[in-house]
Amino acid sequence: MCARWLERSRPPCPRQPYHFQKNRHMKFIDSTNFERLLKKLSEQGELFVPVRDADSGRLHIERVEEFPLPERTSLDGFRTVEAMKGFAQPLRAKVAEYPAPEMDDLDIEERIPVQVIVGARACDVAAMSLVDSVQIEGEYTDPFYAHRRGKMIVIAADCTDCGDSCFCNLVGGRPWPEKGFDLAVAKAGGGYLVESGSERGGRIMEENGELFAEAREGLEKARDEARQRVLEKLAERNRDYPPADEVTEPLREKLTDAIWNKEAARCVECGACTNVCPTCYCFLLYDTAGDQSCRRVMAWDSCQVSGYARMAGMANPRPRLADRVKHRLYHKYDYLPLSHGAIFCTGCGRCIDTCSAGIDMREVFRNVLGAAATQGRTRG
Amino acid sequence: MKNPYYPIDTVLEEIITETPTIKTFVLRPARPIPFRAGQFMQLTVPGVGEAPFTPSSDPNVSEKMEITILRTGKVTEALHDLKPGAAVGLRGPFGTGYPLEKLVGKDVLVVGGGVGLAPMRALLYALFSDPSQYRKIVIKFGAREPAELSFRRQYDEWRALADNIFLETTIDVPHPDWKGHVGLVTTLLEPGKLEGTAIEEGYALSCGPEIMLKFVTLKLLELGYKPPQIYLSMNRKMSCGMGKCGRCNVGHYYLCVDGPDMCYDKIKHVPNVFG
Repeated sequence: MCARWLERSRPPCPRQPYHFQKNRHMKFIDSTNFERLLKKLSEQGELFVPVRDADSGRLHIERVEEFPLPERTSLDGFRTVEAMKGFAQPLRAKVAEYPAPEMDDLDIEERIPVQVIVGARACDVAAMSLVDSVQIEGEYTDPFYAHRRGKMIVIAADCTDCGDSCFCNLVGGRPWPEKGFDLAVAKAGGGYLVESGSERGGRIMEENGELFAEAREGLEKARDEARQRVLEKLAERNRDYPPADEVTEPLREKLTDAIWNKEAARCVECGACTNVCPTCYCFLLYDTAGDQSCRRVMAWDSCQVSGYARMAGMANPRPRLADRVKHRLYHKYDYLPLSHGAIFCTGCGRCIDTCSAGIDMREVFRNVLGAAATQGRTRG
Repeated sequence: MKNPYYPIDTVLEEIITETPTIKTFVLRPARPIPFRAGQFMQLTVPGVGEAPFTPSSDPNVSEKMEITILRTGKVTEALHDLKPGAAVGLRGPFGTGYPLEKLVGKDVLVVGGGVGLAPMRALLYALFSDPSQYRKIVIKFGAREPAELSFRRQYDEWRALADNIFLETTIDVPHPDWKGHVGLVTTLLEPGKLEGTAIEEGYALSCGPEIMLKFVTLKLLELGYKPPQIYLSMNRKMSCGMGKCGRCNVGHYYLCVDGPDMCYDKIKHVPNVFG
């Protein structure tokens, strides 16, 4: 890890850091009471749940304002089509209005609603923790992001299946959440096993104690067996691909550009991969003029488009698409491990689902290792 | 909580024309902004946007700031069209600034080209506040033509400040009004032209276009400077200033927090570091 990052003072993260405890207290909640719990939490803020689309069979995150929950609400299957990042860093949001002194020293916290995110999967909660390390920790904190995250209530859920593009097992993940949530639920015995992962989660369980029951014997075992089945399915599905941590070293070996030219030959430069990625946090700041004042807006951006790093006078450190395709890989698998101590990929596979050119990150891993081996032999 | 994206209200007090394409903007922010030489600011033209610039003024003065800017893009064109009295905005300072503490007792070589002279002037002001702290201050400035050499009115004054200050200038191609040295700034970096600089006891700092930085670096290495002795003001599109928006990376460093002046030793491994 880069020394400069370590030297910087780290302000406390609004989400209490969670440390894995072996004997976490487990409770049981039946489906009716779970819905009651969500209704109660929805009184505190905006509630979002996964709802299955009838046509595609995919889960989408939907806002729920009325009860009962939508008929197709489901905690089965795997992650939603949309990543969680938009709840902490909206697609587009005003970050300043000027001249207006109240925007300089503003009470952001009051303006930001509580968001209750239900059914977040391990890949998504892990991704949020990674982005937290950029947007909250370190010398500077983005106050908008920090407050949205600080007020967010995350109820994570186990994956009961994996998708064709899921590969969390290749990036050190598991299809069940272990940290980064307030509560985590796993389907079992006609309801859910629930555990808390934060002080706030513990409080929610205490304050709603009447909704929970002691977990019956055998439920935890059943849950663990279900987890193992999903993990085995994932391992089987991804057996031909190398784990991502084997990729970082070859990247540092200075691969020749041949591999990036090849990868880029298929890319259509649409930026969909960075938009759907739960750990892609890079943004654009732009200003607009109004009658009385000007606005500064923060919007998602994509390092895959040519204007991203272009400077005045048209100088561009990454003028070729191959440079940008390469940059995306390096940023996630080399640069961020150096600066923030972790690979910024949680294996959600959204980039694979969305790519109209059929670029598959797992194949890129394999191609990187292949190119490194060939180059090694050439040098040999 | 302070909003890091809000620009401090600032009045554009005066505009000094340096060259046909470069102007110095004298700014007075609503509250003083202390900065270190080499740190940069985000300057807002209301409604147009902001762009990163390193102040060219004395870092010992915080209530007023000068920024010297080449007309070259959307924000700088809008800036060049402003009149004194206009309202602008400032965020910052960002970045680490020049490693002044390392330069004490050393032979300091300052190499600037084109509008790259602007950030170098803040460094020079910092060095000039007590020239006796440094063994030698050797300055090499280059520009395409005489009219493009910024701050010419100050050169003689600087030379006269102390005996250990040496300043030499060059232009790229011959010009009827120019009697001095002609050639790229690297031609001022020949062994006989360094005023007896002890290279092993020296630091070289450079700012200018990327292509110039590349050839200056190669020349410095040829002269015997080691990568840890070379500092380069790298050019990338700094935006947020806080290492978050992602667009100003050189390898795994973000210029907005780790630079914009980077020790060459840190970035020499980055492929295509000079673009």
